[in-house]
Amino acid sequence: MTNRALAESIPARQLHAAIEALGVTHVLTVPDTHQKSLLASLRNDRDIELVTLSTEDEAICVNAGLWMGGAQPLVLIQNVGLFAAMNSLRGVAIDMAVPTCLLTGQYARDVTRPAAENRASAVRLIEGVMASMDVPTFAVDRPADVPLLAKGFAASRERRGPVVVLVGAPTA
Amino acid sequence: MKRAEALDILAAAKGEAVTVATMRAVADWHRTPAASERHLDAVGCMGAAAPLGLGLALAQPNRRVIVIDGDGSLLMQLGVLATISGAAPQNLYHVVLVNRVYETSGNQPIPGSERVDFPALARAAGYRSAQGLADAAVLAERLPGLLAQPGPTLIAIETDAEEAGTPGSAVSRPADAAGLLRAQLVGGSGAAAGA
Repeated sequence: MTNRALAESIPARQLHAAIEALGVTHVLTVPDTHQKSLLASLRNDRDIELVTLSTEDEAICVNAGLWMGGAQPLVLIQNVGLFAAMNSLRGVAIDMAVPTCLLTGQYARDVTRPAAENRASAVRLIEGVMASMDVPTFAVDRPADVPLLAKGFAASRERRGPVVVLVGAPTA
Repeated sequence: MKRAEALDILAAAKGEAVTVATMRAVADWHRTPAASERHLDAVGCMGAAAPLGLGLALAQPNRRVIVIDGDGSLLMQLGVLATISGAAPQNLYHVVLVNRVYETSGNQPIPGSERVDFPALARAAGYRSAQGLADAAVLAERLPGLLAQPGPTLIAIETDAEEAGTPGSAVSRPADAAGLLRAQLVGGSGAAAGA
């Protein structure tokens, strides 16, 4: 029996193009191992400012300040960092009602299993924890799912709050 | 000096700047007229004031942004010093009220309360400049010049530990305050859907 992959690598250029199409002005990152090819691609983009931060808490707060100042930011982190940023997610993104789209790599995911059945707790628990905070999640598990990024970004604006877009496999 | 005295001096020098205040500074800042426009309270999330100010500074590069932080709050996200240094916003001024205690929870000393040197931390992280000031007359004299030079600048003001009390409460709901500030900076009602 072969283990069929439930999540496939997405070309960095495809995600990069989707980010450009959203009119994103700043990408705020604590670099994600899972999305390193996307980060490398964004590093060469002269129209999008890539800002590296010390913590994911900061990323959520800087996102809020940018939004209040009229910019269109996107947060790019990994699942373990999202767990580290719970207080800012609650106290800033939720309480201040700030559109916050978090493109989040599913670091350490075993792609032969559904995320909810992974041994890695960061993968297995993230969707349930977000649901408990009333934060919607979108799973981008293959190239055909990339339009879900735009859907998630729009949802963060419409509901004025955080939305998590999970990237299931390392970007290519 | 008293916190209120320091904030009166800061309010007089604020000009058109955007301000972000946190914790015990919130109530005293709202006693000044400077809090009435282009201001945000960062309440209920210690450590958030400086990165909120950084985001505002990056989005509004032609407008000065003044963060009114606390020493305990800054310690919650001390890595922000390196983040601000890396982003290098010339319009960001990071005021830290240094009373060396957690006032809201009963005046327990902050870690390393006798030794932590906040201007030295900022300089080591790469701020363009950092000053420590303890005298009100000196603060009043030097503050306009500090706010006129390019940032990022850290201004650590030594203040007295005051009677323990509750954190400053925002004058409006955080969501309303965030929407209002956005409306003041970029137009619109600020109350409707975000983008």
